[in-house]
Amino acid sequence: MRGVLLKDLYIAKGNILVTVVSLIVLGFGLSFLLETSALLLLSPVASTTAVFISITSDASSKWSKNVITMPIARHQIIGEKFSFYLILAVLGVAAALIPCGVLALAGRGVTVHSLCLYGTLGMSATLLAGGISLPCAYFFDPEKSQIVFMLSFLASTGIITGLVFLTNVFLPVKEHILLAFAIVLGVAALWFCLAYRLAVRVYQKRDVV
Amino acid sequence: MDYALTVSGLTKTYPDFRLDHVSFAVPSGSIVGLIGENGAGKSTTVNAVLGLIQREAGQVSILERETLDDATKEQIGVVFDGSNYPEILSPKQIHRIMRQIYRSWEGETYFRLLDRFSLPQNKPLKQFSKGMKMKLAIAAALSHQSKLLILDEATSGLDPVIRDDLLDLLLDFVQNEEHAILISSHITSDLEKIADHIVFIHGGKVVFSKPKDELTEQYGVLKCGAAQYEALDPSDRVVSRRMEYEWQVLVSDRHTIQKKYPKALVVPATLDEIMLLYVKGEAG
Repeated sequence: MRGVLLKDLYIAKGNILVTVVSLIVLGFGLSFLLETSALLLLSPVASTTAVFISITSDASSKWSKNVITMPIARHQIIGEKFSFYLILAVLGVAAALIPCGVLALAGRGVTVHSLCLYGTLGMSATLLAGGISLPCAYFFDPEKSQIVFMLSFLASTGIITGLVFLTNVFLPVKEHILLAFAIVLGVAALWFCLAYRLAVRVYQKRDVV
Repeated sequence: MDYALTVSGLTKTYPDFRLDHVSFAVPSGSIVGLIGENGAGKSTTVNAVLGLIQREAGQVSILERETLDDATKEQIGVVFDGSNYPEILSPKQIHRIMRQIYRSWEGETYFRLLDRFSLPQNKPLKQFSKGMKMKLAIAAALSHQSKLLILDEATSGLDPVIRDDLLDLLLDFVQNEEHAILISSHITSDLEKIADHIVFIHGGKVVFSKPKDELTEQYGVLKCGAAQYEALDPSDRVVSRRMEYEWQVLVSDRHTIQKKYPKALVVPATLDEIMLLYVKGEAG
């Protein structure tokens, strides 16, 4: 799996670099307008776009066909894409934490509470979106899966809203906001794991030509 | 005899095409050419052998193993039409990737082949010609102790000089008696140069699987007029095709046929002619 991950890093390194630098610059820029920690909402989502660059590249170069003839199991091929997605999301969070950390040291009002809140929310949206769009990359052709990828972020915000309302039924969200969003993050993580299992199941039987 | 690959009763149905109980074998130390027109089922056969598509029926045994596990895949080199590597990568990056994927990856062999093919190590593949990409794919396929090489239309679209280089390399590879090659192509002249056996697929079925020498030495095309055609013993005709001014009849033993019909014009048949007559002609 390491070889395939390395291949994706080579493909996406330009995009990753631009995203990381943009997030850092944006973080400092945002500090003049709003709370810098809000960048954590955007950063994991923005950084995962590189996964879809690699999926599109795999399809256009027919690497998807080539790799199946190599000593890598189909579940490992899927596992690599999901791992790559997670790595990029964490990288996005780490990039956003750089300006947050610098501004916190400069006393610009970045609190642990806001970091946890926005970080949890950003990661939840990313996991939910990935749980929708990654399996679809193996159900549909690259064009359709790119549309699904864009729609998945809209869908994830809707799902988060729904989950928050649902949580509010048994836990007052306003009073336990961090706990409520931790629950949402847990559901999103579970969703992501289930999506991986589903993608593996579909891909095992899929004809790749 | 040891077989690097045996395919038995391979079947796969699509809405508009059926690969119908395809069976053939690739003996170790030999090159088997899979020929047929476009859409005949060559690539479907290769894809099913490699586990890219799910087969409905049939067995595939590669290097005496029924399951296509990682250990078996280590010993199979595959080259498709086009390089099938992301164009942004350079040969050096491909080396770094492949050494993580193949336990038996041999960097020295790979770089030696890159040198032999005069391929730059650091240029991205998007700057390569089609011939260079094919050479790179073959270099990668030969750099992990492959025992079976499977090439699907790998020589299509290449100029004769590059094709000749590749054919030489394939002949080198098969000098080791543990090695074998299955090569699918519709460029039959390439297979006439290197193949030991020919498997002809038409309409998803194997029409014949014969040693190449038998086809080129014994098969012939009898060219005659309508009256002479009618006079032929039907059992002597494998397939016949009516042309504008003559009949072309494929015969399986041209020397015997020439003796039997001394006035007939019987010429050796090329693989192209055999394929054409089977595809466009009628039985008997």
